[in-house]
Amino acid sequence: MTNLETRATEVENGWQDHDGFVGPFRPGNGPRSDPAGEFPTGPAVGDRFPNVVSNTADGVAFNSQDHLGPRPVVFIFFRSAVW
Amino acid sequence: MKAFDDAGVDVYALSYDEPDALRDFRSAHKITYNLLSDPDSEVIRSFGILNTLIDQNDHPWYGIPYPGTYVIDTQGNITHKFFENNLAVRAGPEQLLRAALGQTSNETGAKAVPKDIPNAVQMKVALAGGALTPTVTKDLVISFVVPSGRHVYAQPAPEGSVAVDVVLDEDARLVQRPLVRPLATDHTLLGTGESFGVHDGEFELRLPLTLNSAAGKEPSLVVTGEARWQSCDDDVCDIPTTERFSIELATTRSPASAIGNQKGAALEPNAMAHFQRMKARRTKT
Repeated sequence: MTNLETRATEVENGWQDHDGFVGPFRPGNGPRSDPAGEFPTGPAVGDRFPNVVSNTADGVAFNSQDHLGPRPVVFIFFRSAVW
Repeated sequence: MKAFDDAGVDVYALSYDEPDALRDFRSAHKITYNLLSDPDSEVIRSFGILNTLIDQNDHPWYGIPYPGTYVIDTQGNITHKFFENNLAVRAGPEQLLRAALGQTSNETGAKAVPKDIPNAVQMKVALAGGALTPTVTKDLVISFVVPSGRHVYAQPAPEGSVAVDVVLDEDARLVQRPLVRPLATDHTLLGTGESFGVHDGEFELRLPLTLNSAAGKEPSLVVTGEARWQSCDDDVCDIPTTERFSIELATTRSPASAIGNQKGAALEPNAMAHFQRMKARRTKT
């Protein structure tokens, strides 16, 4: 891991991150806390997907080991459904 | 989502929201994939992807992950990961579906146009996915057909030779990610025993592109660039080829507008109440 600081440069039409992506808001506070450089991305390609125990949106207990297996899975970690 | 269902791929999405907030979100946006609630960020922590740039006292943001996506095969193993530094950028559905299906061939429908030149390598450019949209990464697919008995050099090419490559012209409206190349085939020259990597038959290069959010509001943009390669048979190589291309790509202004019903951008009706409750809960603890 090299650098977890947020970086952005103000440009004419917004804020430019280190990849060249220009957005309307300055990264670096609250939910716009973007990492620069390498950052933790969890288990590696080739690893077994860790077991996930949580609740569904309907409040039903969920255990990933009961669901993974018969079909390929896309598993997304997203920030929020509220904001 | 229908494409994932049709392909037999399950989709789960987890956030630190309460179940009722997820239900409202699901209802507002007619979501059919599985939403999971991790309000104490226990799963997020266990994966080691808690966004630690956010201070623990920075309510209500504390607890979110570095957003990203895992693709898992039927054995339960991770085959692909998609994480971006910029929170606004994420893998496009075409990229995820292709990864989940383990596809190695081109599903864009792009076919190289035959040329009336003997032994000519054929090249075609297309976008995997309907339109470019800010923050969603899609692959520009450059398809090649190498005539039978011939090959092109993979990267790295032998000294003095040219590996197949694609370079776009500078365009501030686009953010590129590293070119994705197929695995090369080992090729050994009979005479010298020299060995190097090549591509033959049909193959493709993929250049992940994201439309910059600062891009204009034009309904399309023209992407230009060039492909380079050097074609050989077992005895002799042609001089390197550079072929220019120009392709007009449709654009949409936001992921929500790409949904098509124009309602995706709207907050669900109870969002503010959920937000206040989220804030209060985290402040209290």
